Amino acid sequence: MTTTRLNRYDRAMVRIMNDRRAQPLYATAVRRRLVVATHLALTLAIGGLIAHSCLGAGNPAWALVLVVALLLPWTVATGAINGATRGLLELRERALDERQSAERAQVRARAHLATTLLLAATAVGLLTVGAVSGDAPTAYAAPVLVTVLAVHWLMPLWVAGLTAQDEPAEDDGLEA
Amino acid sequence: MSEQVHNRPAVVRAERGVSRRQLAEAVGAHYQTIGHIERGRYNPGLDPALRIAGYFALPVEALFSLEPFRPLTDEIYGRKTS
Repeated sequence: MTTTRLNRYDRAMVRIMNDRRAQPLYATAVRRRLVVATHLALTLAIGGLIAHSCLGAGNPAWALVLVVALLLPWTVATGAINGATRGLLELRERALDERQSAERAQVRARAHLATTLLLAATAVGLLTVGAVSGDAPTAYAAPVLVTVLAVHWLMPLWVAGLTAQDEPAEDDGLEA
Repeated sequence: MSEQVHNRPAVVRAERGVSRRQLAEAVGAHYQTIGHIERGRYNPGLDPALRIAGYFALPVEALFSLEPFRPLTDEIYGRKTS
């Protein structure tokens, strides 16, 4: 962080990611878990609605309207998780210090493991269902692919949100 | 690699009236990283350790050690620890 110069974009992102105005949303571990759970639920809902809209009979427009409505709280939840992690996954490597870089690598490793286990369980489930009903793998291929994409994209964010730690206590009289 | 590194930047920081944010800004780290180091949750590498030592104009071994530090008052006044 000190050996490389940050450009205007980096500095703006650091400022945004360290903005503490939404801190009440993620001040404690319980609240952070709640935000991650909300984000997960909203992601599932949005993914389900998009799949329903694209694959369902008649391409219902109400589903897309609902998706647009859900995107607002989803964006707020994403911002809250990024705020809780101080932009651990959003900032460029050069904007992170040594500890943050190590933490990001750890988060990515955990997310990779979790995604791998989830994909393995999904593959086993799909193959098992496919053994019973031959059409199942074909029928579920598109929703599963969308789910895999979402999980691959967002698992690091969820892991980072769940592993973020509390703000260190301010040292009285020294914080300007 | 997981050996605990004892540190006392918090003591020196308090003594010199330097806030966590001021130290973090001076050494190019996030202020949370300073908190993690002070609480022993993160052992800094050579670069940040030397930067912190340089900021306080102290040898790095005055701030970081593999052995527990004696209280500063004992070091100054020579009281023997039991």
